Amino acid sequence: MTHPGQRGFLLTAVFLFAPPAIAFAAGDYERRVMTLAGIYALAVLGYQLVFGRIGALSLAQGCFFGLGAYTTGLLGIHFGWTFPASFLAAAIVPALLAFVVALPVLRLGSHYFALATLGISQVVLLVAVNWTDVTGGANGLYGIPEVSILDRSFSSSEAMLVLVWGTLAVAVTGVSAMLRGRASHRLSVLRDAPEAAASIGIDAAAHRLALFLASAALGGVAGALQAHSVGVVSPAVAEFHVMVTILAMTVVGGRGHPAGAILGAVLLVHLPEWFRFLEANYLIAHGAALLLAVILLPQGLAGLFQRWLGEKPHFKPHTDVSSDRNIPAVRRASDGLEINNVEKRFAGIVALDKVSLRISAGEIVGLIGPNGSGKTTVVNVISGLVAPDRGRLVLDKQEIGAMGPHLRARLGLGRSFQSPATTPTLTILESVLAATSSNHDNATAQRLAESCLAFVDLSGWGVEFSGTLPPAKARDLDLARLLAAEPSVVMLDEPAAGLTPTERARLANRLKNLAEAGLGILVIDHSMDFLLPLADRVICLASGVIVSEGRPEEVARHPAAIAAYFGEGRR
Amino acid sequence: MSASILQLLVNGIALGAAYALIALGFVLVINAIGAVNFAQGDLVMTGGFVAVILADWLIESEAWTTWGLGVLVLPLTMVAMAALGILFSLFAYVPLRNRPPVSVFISTIAFGMMLQHGANAAFGPDPRNGPPLIEAGMVSFGSVGVSLQQISVIVAATFLIGTTRVVLFQTQFGRQLRATAQDQEMAEAIGVDGFRSIGLTFALAVALAGAAGMLLSNQFFVTPTDGGVFMLKAYIAVTLGGWGRLDGATVAAILIGIFEVMVAAVVSYVVAEALLYATLLLVLLLRPSGFLAESIQRRT
Repeated sequence: MTHPGQRGFLLTAVFLFAPPAIAFAAGDYERRVMTLAGIYALAVLGYQLVFGRIGALSLAQGCFFGLGAYTTGLLGIHFGWTFPASFLAAAIVPALLAFVVALPVLRLGSHYFALATLGISQVVLLVAVNWTDVTGGANGLYGIPEVSILDRSFSSSEAMLVLVWGTLAVAVTGVSAMLRGRASHRLSVLRDAPEAAASIGIDAAAHRLALFLASAALGGVAGALQAHSVGVVSPAVAEFHVMVTILAMTVVGGRGHPAGAILGAVLLVHLPEWFRFLEANYLIAHGAALLLAVILLPQGLAGLFQRWLGEKPHFKPHTDVSSDRNIPAVRRASDGLEINNVEKRFAGIVALDKVSLRISAGEIVGLIGPNGSGKTTVVNVISGLVAPDRGRLVLDKQEIGAMGPHLRARLGLGRSFQSPATTPTLTILESVLAATSSNHDNATAQRLAESCLAFVDLSGWGVEFSGTLPPAKARDLDLARLLAAEPSVVMLDEPAAGLTPTERARLANRLKNLAEAGLGILVIDHSMDFLLPLADRVICLASGVIVSEGRPEEVARHPAAIAAYFGEGRR
Repeated sequence: MSASILQLLVNGIALGAAYALIALGFVLVINAIGAVNFAQGDLVMTGGFVAVILADWLIESEAWTTWGLGVLVLPLTMVAMAALGILFSLFAYVPLRNRPPVSVFISTIAFGMMLQHGANAAFGPDPRNGPPLIEAGMVSFGSVGVSLQQISVIVAATFLIGTTRVVLFQTQFGRQLRATAQDQEMAEAIGVDGFRSIGLTFALAVALAGAAGMLLSNQFFVTPTDGGVFMLKAYIAVTLGGWGRLDGATVAAILIGIFEVMVAAVVSYVVAEALLYATLLLVLLLRPSGFLAESIQRRT
């Protein structure tokens, strides 16, 4: 029985080798068709990084394709650059454009991201059509030199086939190396649960930028090969139908696996051959294939291999972790967390007014207050999701107010959300592995993840997909993932909501164990029954102001706290 | 005001009014299902061809004369397009209703592509001329003459936008559509047939696209590749007007029409296009929620 990783490798190797091998034997025409398929597969491979990995519908991949084609064409014709140099430039220029637009564009929500990328494509197309002196306008550029590397000509259909599919093989290897193991798990968390990703230290902006640049470069490379193989560049290479073709190939083949890029490209490039009666309107067939695929094959054709590829290795917990229930490693922040005079208004309404609090190492602090009193806002401000208008935030003597959420998380600040964020495409073990620091080697990370799962009694569940967990187990997983990031202070937003009394007791017990190991814990909850025996200290918030603070039984009796909960009239 | 500026303004408002019909249909679908309808432009183009076919058929079969032809073709086109809208929702939305909105983005792209290349296969790439809404002529404002055609387009579009608003805001049917758009589960819990509401929203949205297609088909002709530009204009109008807002989209669409005609008259159409995209990107950069506040938060 082969290992799934080896199977994925095997499958990719077959898909990389078989199509060009068949075409090589088939004849000149088929070699040219398969060369085109390889070119599109490169563009799709890049598109998978944005559409599949970031999970954003970009409509700029056709534009990067066209830009690559124009770059190599212009440099080859006007400046006499040789192929290797202009080919490299064709990867860099689209990546540069991607870099320039990335800052405003990558933070946009899905519908604006689609529009912005479409807008950029339209601008590039307008330039291509109208800057006639340089681009040749609607007629385009003719006489793009044939490929030659070190005086070796690649003009024959055999040579181009080998060049294109060789480039594709290199690209597939590079992408696979970039997206292995924990790096891939982190991207899945980022796509499926972006806020949770920041809270376990994943740098969303850097990851998205890297993928966007790589996708643009691959699109440009594909466009350049296309330009050299046909010898002409016209504005048609940057038109919307190129984008739709790439999108269709990605959806048909599947956006999650390199094999999908090859499958989709080979299939759709051959589609017109099989629907000859459509003649020049073969794009109807692309549209129909896209519609059918999005309805019938949500994972694409590569998804059909998913069960074979995706079967996870059996998870064998180390006996030592499950038997003695060790508390997972906790960083000790000797100075704890302190916030001073934090203020926050939303559209003029005071959400927090001069809130100061501290959480020491090994201490459990309860945060109570009626709905809308600002409890979650406190956690959002500390974790960096909401910027305060005023106030200081210090974690273990270090000012964290100016840091992004992921940097605070890396310093040891953890948080959970009211509804646990799930990552349906990851197993439970993978989801926890994603939170481990990239400074750990794989073996250390694996041990750490396993010990965190053992701590929340999820050892036997590691191979299950995390979307399938019942709600209480999903909360346990959330805690395990939080701990795998090795925090020194954690803030839990209503961790006991929806739990049965038994489950609450188990949670309280775990939190006490963690505090004993040195973790500072802030717990938001409504129920004093839960907090009374658990918390060392309780803070009561009402309308953004701390009205009472002290030992739990003191706060429970404090008139201001009672008033906040039951209304002013009650004594 | 000089004659040419007044005529340009009227032209701009007429174009913008047609854009407003497209944008209105675009927002209705966004609000109903939380997804962008990338086929909206191709549906406008289809509406143009439907108007061309209907006009040809009415004349050839001698069922009608050229007198009042446009006034008859407009409602007929809308009825045909409403039926297409139901069909469209059955293919592009119903199978995907429990999937992320991006699936619907893709299915509408696919549907639009099939419309575009289907029209190309059926009618060829050459521009076709649709029927005028009314016979050509001029109307005088003092010493200034303005094309009657454009005035009639503005009147028809205003009537359709007004009727849509009355239907949406003053009838029980409209309340049901809006309730479904706000929260389908809740609407169904109080007895609204959500499935039917969404189907009818598609019918209304596509009928509006068809009306715009008919109104534009005489002055600007209609070709199979027209769709992309119309879709972009609607998309931009909805973004500038505040995502999900009917009033914002309508106003923004009219302003885009005026802007385009004015800049095209002074400089060129290409510059108008480029400036429009530049404005869009700038707005997304500086004020991602549009000029007016979004009416819905993070629907997609």
